[in-house]
Amino acid sequence: MHARSWRLLFHAAFVFVFAAISMHAQDSEIRIGAVLPVTGKESKIGGAYKAATELAVKEVNDAGGLLVHGKKMKVDLRLLDDTSDASKSAQLVEQLIVQQKVHAVIGGYGSQLVQAQSVVPERYGIPFISGGAGASSIYGRSKWVFGTLSPVENLAGTQMDFLLDLVKQRKLKAPLKISLLRENTEHGKDFQKGVRDFVNAHPKQFSIVLDESFELYAPDFRPLLMRVEAAKGDLFMCDAHLEDYIAMHRTYTQMGLYHQMVTYGARGADEAGRKALGAATDYIFASGWWSDLLPYPQVKAFNAKWKAATGNNPQWYHACAYETVRALFAAIQKAGSLQPDAIRNALARLELKDSILPGGVLKFSKTGEATLPFVVTQNKPEGKLDLVWPKAAKTGNPVAPIPR
Amino acid sequence: MQQLVSVVLSALLAAGLYATMAYGLAVIYGVMRIINLAHAGFMMLGAYITFTLFSRFSLDPFIGLVVVGPLFFFFGVVLYRAVGKSMARSGATPSIESLLLLFGVWLVLQNLAYVIWTGDTQSILTWYTMKSIEIFGVHVGVPSVFVFLASATSLIFLNVLLKRTYLGKAIRAVTQNRDAALLSGVDADRISATAFGLGTAFAGIAGGMLSTLMAFTPDFGRSFLLKSFCIIVLGGMESVTGVALGALVLAVLENVLGAYTPVPTSLQDAVSFALLFVALVAFPQGLPALFTRFERKAIR
Amino acid sequence: MKVLRVSLWAAAAIFALAAPLFLDRGTLNDLWNLAFAVILASAWNLLGGFAGQVSLGYSVFLGIGAYTTVLLSLRGVDPFLTLPLGAIIAAAFSFIIGLPAFRLRGPYFTIATIGVAEAVRVCASSVSFTGGSSGLRMPAGSFDFNLNYFSMVVLAILVVALAAYIKRSAFGRALAAIKQDIDAAEALGVNATRFKLAAHALSAAVVALAGSLYAINFQYIAPGSVFDFRLSLSIVLMPILGGVGTVIGPVLGAIIFSTLQIKLLSIPALRDSFLFIYGGLLILVMLYEPAGLVGVGRRLAALAASAFGTNRRIPDAG
Repeated sequence: MHARSWRLLFHAAFVFVFAAISMHAQDSEIRIGAVLPVTGKESKIGGAYKAATELAVKEVNDAGGLLVHGKKMKVDLRLLDDTSDASKSAQLVEQLIVQQKVHAVIGGYGSQLVQAQSVVPERYGIPFISGGAGASSIYGRSKWVFGTLSPVENLAGTQMDFLLDLVKQRKLKAPLKISLLRENTEHGKDFQKGVRDFVNAHPKQFSIVLDESFELYAPDFRPLLMRVEAAKGDLFMCDAHLEDYIAMHRTYTQMGLYHQMVTYGARGADEAGRKALGAATDYIFASGWWSDLLPYPQVKAFNAKWKAATGNNPQWYHACAYETVRALFAAIQKAGSLQPDAIRNALARLELKDSILPGGVLKFSKTGEATLPFVVTQNKPEGKLDLVWPKAAKTGNPVAPIPR
Repeated sequence: MQQLVSVVLSALLAAGLYATMAYGLAVIYGVMRIINLAHAGFMMLGAYITFTLFSRFSLDPFIGLVVVGPLFFFFGVVLYRAVGKSMARSGATPSIESLLLLFGVWLVLQNLAYVIWTGDTQSILTWYTMKSIEIFGVHVGVPSVFVFLASATSLIFLNVLLKRTYLGKAIRAVTQNRDAALLSGVDADRISATAFGLGTAFAGIAGGMLSTLMAFTPDFGRSFLLKSFCIIVLGGMESVTGVALGALVLAVLENVLGAYTPVPTSLQDAVSFALLFVALVAFPQGLPALFTRFERKAIR
Repeated sequence: MKVLRVSLWAAAAIFALAAPLFLDRGTLNDLWNLAFAVILASAWNLLGGFAGQVSLGYSVFLGIGAYTTVLLSLRGVDPFLTLPLGAIIAAAFSFIIGLPAFRLRGPYFTIATIGVAEAVRVCASSVSFTGGSSGLRMPAGSFDFNLNYFSMVVLAILVVALAAYIKRSAFGRALAAIKQDIDAAEALGVNATRFKLAAHALSAAVVALAGSLYAINFQYIAPGSVFDFRLSLSIVLMPILGGVGTVIGPVLGAIIFSTLQIKLLSIPALRDSFLFIYGGLLILVMLYEPAGLVGVGRRLAALAASAFGTNRRIPDAG
């Protein structure tokens, strides 16, 4: 068939040209690609990831580079902006791999963006590591995809562990009824799953009396909160974005609602939230992937380093981005080679012992996602913040129930 | 019983805000037959300017509304002089060019906001923001009450303007029948400029009020725009009472759905949009027209 | 003149088809995006430009095509075989919306389409059958960029050819009559509703095909990306910029739109001015030349003709 032979010709020509080019690629430097939302909707944290990534690369290059094939090679970071667009993000990753021949790719920030990116590494067999997405559906599908953010279900699970411990300490009395709200996103779904799974495993202590989702940036939370009021739960657990957290908690406070413990997932300790809500944020607890309050020496060192470099205190996203790059570099050095398989295997077996992440050790599970403990913080009056979980790392005692 | 009171109060409070939002869109459409997509942009800008007045000059947001109203009226007239003149049509069907042109204005306003205030989430926290008062046994947030009062005041003021002043009557005349109004000597250009100014002023005020209730970013405004469409379709745009009626219907529907049906709140938006669609198809003149039709039938 | 035009189109088509031979992956991605944009813009133009009915809800059809492909592929159907089904479902849906909506005139119709599109988006994000807000992935399988590229380019060529054919056909003339004055057209015996429905269905089917190809190329779809309102807006923006109601208009608009996106991103200072530029362009076009780039071109041609005082026939500016 005519058309078919033309197609074959094109394919052959393409492959020939491609092969010719790749045979000329010199491995005199380590090429690392990164695609981040530097502009657009996710630009606030995307920009933070960029800064942290660049700091980590600069550190390594200032020390001479990474030891590969017996000699020290500098890292050439190729960082592209996907403008928070998922299709563009995937295309840029592909471009980095196919055209710029990077040895590994650092993924972006944001579940949707990283989801779109994560289908690409499998096609070409290039290691991919992301510090910006905790949605577990991304991982476990390809042996080339790794993530340093622990699953959001574990975020919820950690909060439940914390609550169960409060019951054991007799600060809260079982059985406890939970009103569970979540934003209508992947993040929210994972949060709901984490809570549900724990409740199913502990039916004597917990039950769920309300389970609702809401659209992002809803203008009026009153109807939803009226349902919460009617449900008469003991605990209020909600997974929300910053704007919705602010709007919802305002309405919550105005309606005079009360629960023994209140959490908005990863929100609560946010500066912007405290500014917008004032004293109403007191005693809200939140869990996250990292806190600068962790009492490990390496965390203190990182805090100092970050403050010296930028003049500000590091946030969780800075720490996660930084550690992601460090993990990749550790794997490359361990492998001692730039072969994709070698780097990939080194990542799979990695045990980064002085990690700044909770638990102090970074390693990846079978799905490629790290399963590290989360931290729980609780807001205290007068703008103070305490780390209350893991117990070994706490800086203050949790207050439960919330004083009326 | 308690729940019923809560639902009714909730709906009333929301309706006031919705009516103010929608009126801005209604007056421009009524007079110039233009769908002002920049409405969302002006609401957003209203929120930011109120916020700036609060954070820079410690001006209470509700007092700030008194500044925002006239300021945005001015903006509206300026915008009309710049791009609006070419848009007004006398025909029955409005033009798509004006729709897209104003959409362009919205995009520009958004970018302006990003540049001046960055994309960070902002909010206004006053001494009364978190407080609530009790009405018939139901706790209602103080800002919501103030918003309702402010909306009611501006709508009453508007009603007086429309019924008692020449300008107001001219606006109503043009809305009902443009050609006839022009024949009676109404200065189309001046009326259109006034209408545009009024519409923009109301958008700004609505935005300012919203800023006291919720946190916002430059992306803010889109869902309110769609709600406003729903309201002006439901209520028609002949009168302030029509818009208020449409706003009430929407607010009641949302609150009733939330309180008495198991429809998940995430699907409630879909219900609003479906309502919009049904309303457009079933009664494009709005509910008040339905009433007048019944009235006429009853008289006969 | 006509020979020149046709050969220019043919040259562009051949260039696009031969591109994988000599262009790098980055540029090929850009061409793929361009072809995608051309298809969406030209398809929309059938109803919006030719017939004058502006719909701001075309993301619905894109989503229908994409989701049909992914859902069927997950059940074992070969992805390319799902294309016709997606198109048929989209056409059927366009019929269901169109029947009530086409009773509305002008911007009322536009608002109705916005309402429908947003309702569909919210439903798709909430229903687990469609994967909810986290979207769906294509089953792991063979990914062939060249095949994807050719499919998109070929579809683009076919759509443009279709638009050119329709413009000159009786169908196209009926649509133009409807756009000009729907009451007069009906008085002359044109069943406006039937023609509007037909144009709507045809363009919906084409957009769905593009949606299916999108799903095949990206292998992951989510309501946020395929049902997005901004997408519906850009689908309308392109033909407007280029010139509604013409064949080349949407193509020009798509080119401007795509290159603007690329160029803007490479100038750091302009990155945050994205919206300024889009908004500004829209304002300028609507104020000074609602016929878009094509209109500007015609004016220049007329100027040139009068400047050089030739006897050449000036093309109809209507």
